[in-house]
Amino acid sequence: MPHIYLREMLLCLLLSLPWANSALAQHEHSSSDFEVFVAAEAFHGTRQTRLGDADPWIDADVVFGATQHQFRVFGEYYITPDERDLERLQMGFEFVPETVLWLGRFHQPASAWNTEHHHGQYLQTDITRPYIERWEDEHGIIPQHITGALFESRQSLGNEGAIQVSGGVGASPALSDHELDPIDLIGPNPGRHRLSVTGRLAYLPQYVGASSMGLLFGHDDLSVSSARTLASLHSNAAKLNIYGAYIDWTSEPWRVVAADYYVDVALTEINRNESFSSGYLQVERQLPRRFTIFGRIEDSARMQESRYVALFDDADGDLEIALRRQALGVRWDYTRRQALTLEISHIVALSQTSNELRAQWSAAIP
Amino acid sequence: MTKIAATAVFLTLLTAMQPVWAAEQLVLIVSRDSKVEQLDSLDLRKLFLGLTVTYNGDRLRPVLDEADSRIKEIFLQNIVSMSDTTYDRSVLRLTLIQGQIKPIVYKDIALLIKAVEADPTAVSYAWAKDVAHDPRIKILRVLWYD
Repeated sequence: MPHIYLREMLLCLLLSLPWANSALAQHEHSSSDFEVFVAAEAFHGTRQTRLGDADPWIDADVVFGATQHQFRVFGEYYITPDERDLERLQMGFEFVPETVLWLGRFHQPASAWNTEHHHGQYLQTDITRPYIERWEDEHGIIPQHITGALFESRQSLGNEGAIQVSGGVGASPALSDHELDPIDLIGPNPGRHRLSVTGRLAYLPQYVGASSMGLLFGHDDLSVSSARTLASLHSNAAKLNIYGAYIDWTSEPWRVVAADYYVDVALTEINRNESFSSGYLQVERQLPRRFTIFGRIEDSARMQESRYVALFDDADGDLEIALRRQALGVRWDYTRRQALTLEISHIVALSQTSNELRAQWSAAIP
Repeated sequence: MTKIAATAVFLTLLTAMQPVWAAEQLVLIVSRDSKVEQLDSLDLRKLFLGLTVTYNGDRLRPVLDEADSRIKEIFLQNIVSMSDTTYDRSVLRLTLIQGQIKPIVYKDIALLIKAVEADPTAVSYAWAKDVAHDPRIKILRVLWYD
């Protein structure tokens, strides 16, 4: 199908949502909702000649959803001064409570961080996300946006606990100049997308709680879509196998988030394999008067030797690939649905070190 | 003698007030046309946190009663067992993660009763005195009493 038709269909669907809203509201089994997460950020970094790609000074993340009987539609539209992206658009059918099959563009379930925070800054205690969890357009090295089918299920286990299973299959991003290029639902698509299979198996100590721990798996077949990348890699495709484990545990006033990923990269044409690992540990503690302090350590192994990882460093003056980072900060939820956050960090990147200071205002509207 | 008389008057007043306090009850309500006969505490918690809860195949819809600050406080302590901030973040989190619909909030009891009556899948809570003799509403059980 020509891309133009696909875009028109999706735009019609999006434009119909507000109308669907009022129409659905009259029906006894339907409802719809939307939420906007906004954030503004100030940044100062040493030895960096420009602001990083992951640091827009202001951004808005619009989340909208509609439910009718067992059918659900859900989307996430992310806006910055330089970017307007339909990050997620999912249409789902809920077979039984909390078991949904989604079709569309989704965030792959094998990311511990992104499946929890997505693009909304307000619900993320800190300002930055770990480097290994970066989005594709921030020179992230693991595919995050997949277009295809996503199965999600949460089932009771014992008296209070639950098991959560998520599996995604679809078209992975292509490997273009210095970044991964996922399928764009609104803009042009050069194509060359191959298979992605991702999954997560998690244990939740409380069915309705926020704590969980589990195993992550991803297989992404990436085709090279740029001549420069082909010249650097000497291969027209790379196959990524990702194995990970994570824990996200809340025991108020404490919260611990940790994840570790082992990534195996097979370069098909030259019959060469390489691997690296990367992980992080973040600890948060709530204090009186709605203050929260947090610290995060990120570390990696063999990333500096990886030809695949080096592809994502465009040497444009900001830091794309961090080997290690230590971050420390404080957040103040000074009023309902608004917070101020301050974060300092020390970064060891592929070719330089840097210190950063960030200040952020974030909110959820309404 | 004056002291004894004053104490007697005080005790009499206290005794007279007792039934009023005892009658202060928060009850779980649905429409009189609802098929719902009972909901346990876990299902109630799931429902008000935005997760899917069905009854005889019908997806239930949570309706929040915020007619006064005390009822909200009791809801947070006894139904979802969370602080106001944690509850708000939990509901926002589900909206962000999978587009779950947030519970509808009513700050006027008359409007809430009207909304519950009109929707057989709606589940809410209210002071017993506000709904006890209302034929449009079915009381499932007492959630809290003082």
